[in-house]
Amino acid sequence: MKGNKLEDKNTNKDVNYWRGFNELNNDPGFLQAKKNEFAEGVSEAPDESGMSGLSRRKFLTLLASSAALAATACSDYRDKGAIVPYNKKPEEVTIGNPNFYASTCTACPNACGILIKTREGRPIKVDGNPDHPVNKGKICASGQANILNLYDPSRVKDAMLKTGAGFTAVDWLETDIKITDELKKASAAGKEIAVITHTINSPSLKQLFADFTSKYSTAKFYSYELVNDTNKLNAFKKSYGKDGFPVINWKEAKIILSLESDFLGKEGNSVEAARLYAESRDVMTKGGEFNKLYAVEGSFTVTGANSDYRIKLRTDAIEEFVYALISSAGENDSALNDFVKKYNLKKNTISELAEDLRKNKGKSIVLAGNHLPESTHIAVNKLNDLLGNTKLYSKENFSTPVIPLSSKQDIESLINRMNSGNVGAVIHFDTNPVYHFSSDYKYADALKKAGLVITLGESANETAEAGNYLLGINHNFESWGDHKIRTGILSLQQPVIAALYKTRQKEAVLLNWISDKPEQFAENNYMTYIKTYWEKNIYAAVNTKVDFKNFWYNSLHDGVVVYNEKFDDNFAFKNEAFSNSPAFRASSGAVVLLAKSSFIGDGRFANNGWLQELPNPISKVVWDNYASISPTAADKLGVKTNDMLEINAGGKTLKAAAFVQPGMADDVVSIDLGYGRKSSGVIGNGVGFNSIDLISKNTNLSDWFYNDGKVTKSSGTYEIISTQEQYAIDQERYNDIHLKREIIREGSYEEYLLNPNFIKEEKGEAKLFNIVPSYEYTTTKWAMSIDLNRCIGCNYCVAACNVENNIPVVGKEQVGKHRNMMWLRIDRYYGGKSDDPKVSFQPMLCQHCDNAPCENVCPVAATNHSPDGLNQMAYNRCVGTRYCSNNCPYKVRRFNYFNFRDNLADGYYENKSLSLLHNPEVTVRSRGVMEKCSFCVQRIMDERQKATQEKRELNGDNVTTACQDACPTNAIVFGDLTKKDSEIVKHRKHELGYHVLEEINVRPNVTYIAKLRNIKPEKKS
Amino acid sequence: MRTFDYTQEVPVVEGQPSAKSLDEVVSSPLDTKPGKIWKILITVTTLMLLVGAGALVWTFYKGIGVWGNNQPVGWGFDIVNFVFWVGIGHAGTLISAILFLLRQRWRTGIARFAEAMTIFAVMCAGIFPAIHTGRAWLDGYLFPYPNANHIWVNFTSPLLWDVFAVSTYFTVSLVFWYIGLIPDFATLRDRTDNKIKKTVYSIFSLGWRHSTRHWQHYEKAYMILAGFATPLVLSVHTIVSFDFAVSVIPGWHTTIFPPYFVAGAVFSGFAMVQNVLIFVRQAFNLKHIITINHLEKMNQVIIVVGTMVGYAYAMEFFTAWYSGNQFETFTFINRALGPYAWAYWTMVTCNVILPQLFWSKKIRTTIWTMFIIGIIVNIGMWFERFVIIVTSLSRDFLPSSWGMYTPTIYDIGILIFSFGLFFTNVLLFVRTLPSVSIAEVKASVDGAQPSHRGGHH
Repeated sequence: MKGNKLEDKNTNKDVNYWRGFNELNNDPGFLQAKKNEFAEGVSEAPDESGMSGLSRRKFLTLLASSAALAATACSDYRDKGAIVPYNKKPEEVTIGNPNFYASTCTACPNACGILIKTREGRPIKVDGNPDHPVNKGKICASGQANILNLYDPSRVKDAMLKTGAGFTAVDWLETDIKITDELKKASAAGKEIAVITHTINSPSLKQLFADFTSKYSTAKFYSYELVNDTNKLNAFKKSYGKDGFPVINWKEAKIILSLESDFLGKEGNSVEAARLYAESRDVMTKGGEFNKLYAVEGSFTVTGANSDYRIKLRTDAIEEFVYALISSAGENDSALNDFVKKYNLKKNTISELAEDLRKNKGKSIVLAGNHLPESTHIAVNKLNDLLGNTKLYSKENFSTPVIPLSSKQDIESLINRMNSGNVGAVIHFDTNPVYHFSSDYKYADALKKAGLVITLGESANETAEAGNYLLGINHNFESWGDHKIRTGILSLQQPVIAALYKTRQKEAVLLNWISDKPEQFAENNYMTYIKTYWEKNIYAAVNTKVDFKNFWYNSLHDGVVVYNEKFDDNFAFKNEAFSNSPAFRASSGAVVLLAKSSFIGDGRFANNGWLQELPNPISKVVWDNYASISPTAADKLGVKTNDMLEINAGGKTLKAAAFVQPGMADDVVSIDLGYGRKSSGVIGNGVGFNSIDLISKNTNLSDWFYNDGKVTKSSGTYEIISTQEQYAIDQERYNDIHLKREIIREGSYEEYLLNPNFIKEEKGEAKLFNIVPSYEYTTTKWAMSIDLNRCIGCNYCVAACNVENNIPVVGKEQVGKHRNMMWLRIDRYYGGKSDDPKVSFQPMLCQHCDNAPCENVCPVAATNHSPDGLNQMAYNRCVGTRYCSNNCPYKVRRFNYFNFRDNLADGYYENKSLSLLHNPEVTVRSRGVMEKCSFCVQRIMDERQKATQEKRELNGDNVTTACQDACPTNAIVFGDLTKKDSEIVKHRKHELGYHVLEEINVRPNVTYIAKLRNIKPEKKS
Repeated sequence: MRTFDYTQEVPVVEGQPSAKSLDEVVSSPLDTKPGKIWKILITVTTLMLLVGAGALVWTFYKGIGVWGNNQPVGWGFDIVNFVFWVGIGHAGTLISAILFLLRQRWRTGIARFAEAMTIFAVMCAGIFPAIHTGRAWLDGYLFPYPNANHIWVNFTSPLLWDVFAVSTYFTVSLVFWYIGLIPDFATLRDRTDNKIKKTVYSIFSLGWRHSTRHWQHYEKAYMILAGFATPLVLSVHTIVSFDFAVSVIPGWHTTIFPPYFVAGAVFSGFAMVQNVLIFVRQAFNLKHIITINHLEKMNQVIIVVGTMVGYAYAMEFFTAWYSGNQFETFTFINRALGPYAWAYWTMVTCNVILPQLFWSKKIRTTIWTMFIIGIIVNIGMWFERFVIIVTSLSRDFLPSSWGMYTPTIYDIGILIFSFGLFFTNVLLFVRTLPSVSIAEVKASVDGAQPSHRGGHH
């Protein structure tokens, strides 16, 4: 202000301020100059001749553009475009807060209840719906990883018409009109309209099929599954006269005998079975009883790996074994003794089994694998009946199909009609029969004679390639649906995101075709349809007091409706079903088993990189299927892992790479189904061998089980990649190395009952000291406990971790170079000898050591310790020396050797849609950066934030890690060690608790609860 | 049998060449145009450099994943090469500093060259820690510079000690080398007619006039720097060995590492210097200055340190057994019998068994035999680092995480790159700077120093 005043004064002529002596002395020259505003020469036009041709404007342009160029050149690589806030905030969405929606998983026919986590409208994570009575908050690996399919760039994005070698997008409206015309024509001409579906467990869809048939009278519905439980269903029909089979009360089973039934792995709802099985292996509650699991099997399954006694037996001897057990149940052991001699089994084990079954009448259960023939299932039912085990059949739930699968005869007659030109249209309702059907059917050829072939699918497949139309359908998470898998349990499926592309849900497509105005497609037609169906049928059955609207919204909110539905629970065995001698006995040929794939289903998840890269629970092989043979068989054939084999069975041949699997029965070869897809997308094409080639149209035993096989060495090799190195476990140096190193510690249940402290006493307290004082954790200290009694090695936790923490898919080649990126892995160790190994599983993740060896070697302190006991990574700071990884005794650190998203399949995972998949709370790591398990620090921070907002203390029990949420058996416990009454403290103090590699004094914070095997302890000499 | 008069020192320089002839013979490579052989050699080394640079560029473009490094084996050729080259460097400092302090006059003929090799070897070594990081463009984080985020480096990390150890070593070696060069620059300045050369030499000779005062200051400075450099010979490789010894990994976590690494470094360094000198004395008529006696003495050092290294190998096995630590025991059995046994036995053969041939005077004084053994020693020493780094990491604590390491062509490319860089530097050096310290050699000629003939002081 003062300055202004001065200036004002300055202009005042009266005040005699002067600029220089010239002015003060009133120099005339100066006065003259002062009159001119500008000095001489300034106001004249510049002499352009002496200047460069560049105009001022041009110069400024160049200046600005070069500055801009320089700025761009130096621009920050982190800058990836603008973030635009909501103009109008959608209802229910608060930026930064996730929303959870209950729905139903359609990854397999089990239809588990799920809870989908969405952030700003996009689904990012799937967990089980805790309110669902069957899967109780848990979900399998395929269900977890299904979210990748939603964003898969290989999805069909529109209605497509096959033209030449490829597909061209066509208008839905025109297509609808054209197709309905064709359907009408076919129907009028009396030509069949065949709709081919997978298992249908939706009541509304059943209704829709009925409506479809009333519109198009020649329509017929067929359903199939590549791997199914038809044999079991037929056996139950014959044994008890029931359509369906009972749920097992696992909790009451003291003795479980699994006859190649992989109930913990691939069969039935393993999420539920594993939970209930593990509940009877509880060491946390005092006096908790242990069940005892016997597994009889030819191949190596997860169930076999978890069994207390694993009896190696060729599969075609199982039925004979059941008959021996039946006579043994009647106190006659001679058949059993003969059997033991014939197959050279361990007499002690078999007598113990026979004894256990007899002693535990009504408290044991015998299960047969779904792939075993009907006769075996009937014999097993007979055995259970004899032992009074039908008591364990649930009185509450019964599992019955909504629509039974079509019989082989139905399928065959359809194909015959197709061949004779009597089929006017085929609609593949999200199915892929060209790939799934036995090549004996020559289905692709039949399609050529079938008139219009329409395939509804999420992505192109072998069947679509052989058809006319490929109509893009919605993903599970974009669709409506209802599902019924048990009596009294109905679950609802709701979309959590609008269709990403111009696709429709498959039910809506059919619904539109039966509407009077197919050109007026309504997005929510199927929702209305279900709602109407529920109002008419379900609402009444449930018998609730609330009005329908409330009932509907409540059901939608809960995702599941449980109501009282009666079923006939009288299981009286019909003896006429049972024949007195086995239908078949062991042959002289090799047994060929075609097993369900662990994670990629019937091949539908072939293009899902996460699932392809999830290691097989037993062999740890990724990205392939293989023919597993026993070490003895391999020696006999003169083959090693990676050598090609030729497998003959049922008159058909397959060439596949051999994998020497310890513990396989010597005359058994097992190979997974669902691989060898030719048209599934960039990721899945050509992965593995198509073992469907071995399935015959007519089989003696079953589609998945042949005993007339022959295995010979073929020429060439094929590389099988496993995440764990195979070392010679029979050599003294490597034999039981995991036990010698006390990485795995275990004992028997009997030993534990005698002396609960045997684990601690075995070793004594380690005397370890630090040269620097330890840090005292006073407020919070995070820790984890993993109960090895409960862990079944299923890998679901790994899948959950991958999704939660944005773990990239690295591809087969990179896994082969030991560069897989999973933060959590399940280590599998073989104990004993390779012909009969004892498997130990151990989930291994960052142990968040107090004295973390990784921390002191990082030159830039990029990995360091938080005050609440976390070993944390500052990605920004990491320069990537990999010293931390070298110095990690657990080798749980993972290095981004490449930008892995860019590295695989020409940057397939850099496709735009996939960026929607990422969990926004977890940094996507760049290349050259080390990473590892963070104990889901984002979830800890979420709780911290909530505690602050709610002005309360942080509660460790509110934090669950992703792996913990996913663990079907609740083996993982996480929490705050400073809270003395918390679950984690109980685990940490448990007498069976131990730490891996205690003696190197890194002070890990993951406690393992030693595994107890319910076996007679071997005499220690 | 010949008898030796062991009281009589073998003359350092053979014959009694005049000062002028020494000037001429040493500076002749600088004054003459390079011959055909030199041109071919530099073409080869430059090609190696370029091929390697291609491998490096691809590495920077794609990521460290183009190498063979993986999850259990986080360090492969990168750090193997680093330790190898740091080791090569040690001979120079040992010859120029330790032997100087020990008044070993025979060092004069070879000191300059050995020092130059130190500089080049440390240059090669220094590349690897810089390029082995996943994000080499952020290597600056390894230096403790003040920054707005208050992020400091981690002083407990041996890798950080490496940064200081290697950079100090390089600096001191360079200064030491340059100080030694000053009188020779002056000589060159005085001899040359070429204007440009004269200017350059003038600048680098810092006004040296060979005055007695200059010499007095020079001798003091040289001695002090020798004193500085001496502990560095021991400290640098000690610290490099800490990279491993400070870790928890069986096969790395060993207290024997510092002396073992230093001995190994001197071992490989001497072998490399011996190898290169054989060519230099031949090519530039320096046989009377770099005599068979010199080479023999070096071979004697090789056998001494080689035996020390052999002892260390044996002691590691003994400790593994004596400790009763199953992890340690396994690691060593695995070295000898595991999947990398071939590398282990290559190492033992090259480093312990074959150098024993040097007990024979004939073998250690015959050019071609000593040359071959020198090469073998360096192969063996490279494998020693490979064995320590790769086999220990490939099978550590958890058998579930074991994994083999297989180098790729890019790994081999960067190895070639380092050799290309080293030999290109060596070739340029012999043509631009005196390979032998003229001033020191002049002083070592018989009779150049006042002494009591045949007597001891």
